[in-house]
Amino acid sequence: MPFLMVQLLHVTKAYPGNAPSLADVSLKIDKGEFLFLTGPSGAGKTTLLKLIFSAEAVTEGEVRVGGKNIARIRESAVPYLRRNVGVVFQDFKLIADRTVAENVALALEVLGVPPKSCRERVAAMLKRVGLLSKAELRPNHLSGGEQQRVVIARALVNEPTLLLADEPTGNLDPALTIEIMDLLNDATTRGTTVIVATHDESLLDRYQKRTVRLDGGRVVSDSQALRAVPDQSSEQVSG
Amino acid sequence: MSSWALSHYAFRSAATGIRRSPFIHGAAVGALAVVLFATGLVAGGSRWLSQVINGLGSEVELTVYLKEGTRFEEAQALAQALSLRSKGETQVVAPEQALARLVQELGPLGSALTGLPENPLPLSVEVKLPPKGRNPQALKQLEQELKRVGSVEAVDYGEAAVERLASMVRLLQLGGMLVTVIVWAITAVIVAATLQLAIYARRQEIEIQKLVGATDLFVQLPFLLQGIMQGLLGAALACASIWFLALGMGPRLAAALSFLAMGEGTAGSCWVNLQAFGTLFLLGAFLGLVGSFLAVARLSRN
Repeated sequence: MPFLMVQLLHVTKAYPGNAPSLADVSLKIDKGEFLFLTGPSGAGKTTLLKLIFSAEAVTEGEVRVGGKNIARIRESAVPYLRRNVGVVFQDFKLIADRTVAENVALALEVLGVPPKSCRERVAAMLKRVGLLSKAELRPNHLSGGEQQRVVIARALVNEPTLLLADEPTGNLDPALTIEIMDLLNDATTRGTTVIVATHDESLLDRYQKRTVRLDGGRVVSDSQALRAVPDQSSEQVSG
Repeated sequence: MSSWALSHYAFRSAATGIRRSPFIHGAAVGALAVVLFATGLVAGGSRWLSQVINGLGSEVELTVYLKEGTRFEEAQALAQALSLRSKGETQVVAPEQALARLVQELGPLGSALTGLPENPLPLSVEVKLPPKGRNPQALKQLEQELKRVGSVEAVDYGEAAVERLASMVRLLQLGGMLVTVIVWAITAVIVAATLQLAIYARRQEIEIQKLVGATDLFVQLPFLLQGIMQGLLGAALACASIWFLALGMGPRLAAALSFLAMGEGTAGSCWVNLQAFGTLFLLGAFLGLVGSFLAVARLSRN
């Protein structure tokens, strides 16, 4: 039986004075699975990711990560949860006055990795994303695609069990999009669970992964669920 | 997290923070330097005043008048016991010696005493007390002990003058302490405000650190270290300024106030000495730490 990495049970998230961003969402994601979260703008994709890495708290329901209900963990325990979750932010969130290597090292520094080991792991990670030659540059000297790769390197350098990516290919040209997606896909081969929020339908077609579609804060379809339901039309034909 | 890795990161981050925002941290160091400079001057002034008061206080002498018929040997024994008890210098003054001294002190009027049929002055023991024993309580206690000795007729130590001096010192110490504490509190708030600016300048970095799993300690430690570094830098500036001032002003001050009994040391040594500078460094680090605590407490609440 596969290990459940993320489980959402009847999750509702509402901001005061607004319609719920998520309403009664239930979802199960296995360890090592690659999942696309899609839907139009305002569907609740980013909110769902924020709930998973405890940047927001649920209004109702449970969010379980690695079996733990994160709605119930103490505030002081949140950093320890986040150390197991790599996040690729839509707006990159790179520190402008730090070099590429320093930005990537940040994820290891918070873990208390000794400086020497930190340098080695950062170099290996930058090599993996093809940015070793740009390690000493500041983010503003990099292209959008390169900055996105730095963010992915930072998210993966501490080998998280879960990787969340919010529109990681937004504003990138097709060639760079494939490059970035290959990096994310590659992470699943190392056992990392990857959740990618995107509204880019071409990505869904190209990669043919499990896709959960949100609209108005509700799950409107889940490709895995569709696959699990027997194809009744074919049964009728054969019958 | 290993403490070595955390310390390495915190020191590097604190130093980088100061290097990247020199104006903000310079303002805090400047404020601390001014306050520590003023504190150093006030503390030195207080030490100098204490020296002056002690110098005046050295005039405080306890005289034990002995009953008529007391033998010189008995007086010597009492003087020896008194010396041990009070840790001061004692001297037995024979009636003749006391009279001669009085005649000399009175000058031309003294000749009137030489015609007296008999010496009215008693045998006495004079005690020069060490600074510790010059306070009113100690003197009062010694007086009461002496009055219980059979051969003692009376004890005199200028009670009123001693109490006036002691209350003056108390008042100065209390006033100085009050002003100092208020100034320190203001400084801590200034340091906190400048560190708030530093935190604001690094808010994006802090946000990202927290998103990748940094604990409060990890985020706060560099700022606490920055506070301590600011305090130490401020103290270094304050000590250098006090040293230069004492170098320039010390001899002039000593010359201008040469009429005062200064006891041991020069006027300048009240301001420039290892202990005083060490205290300023400790105080600077403490004020910087308190200021940074105030700043980071708000950071963790946010």
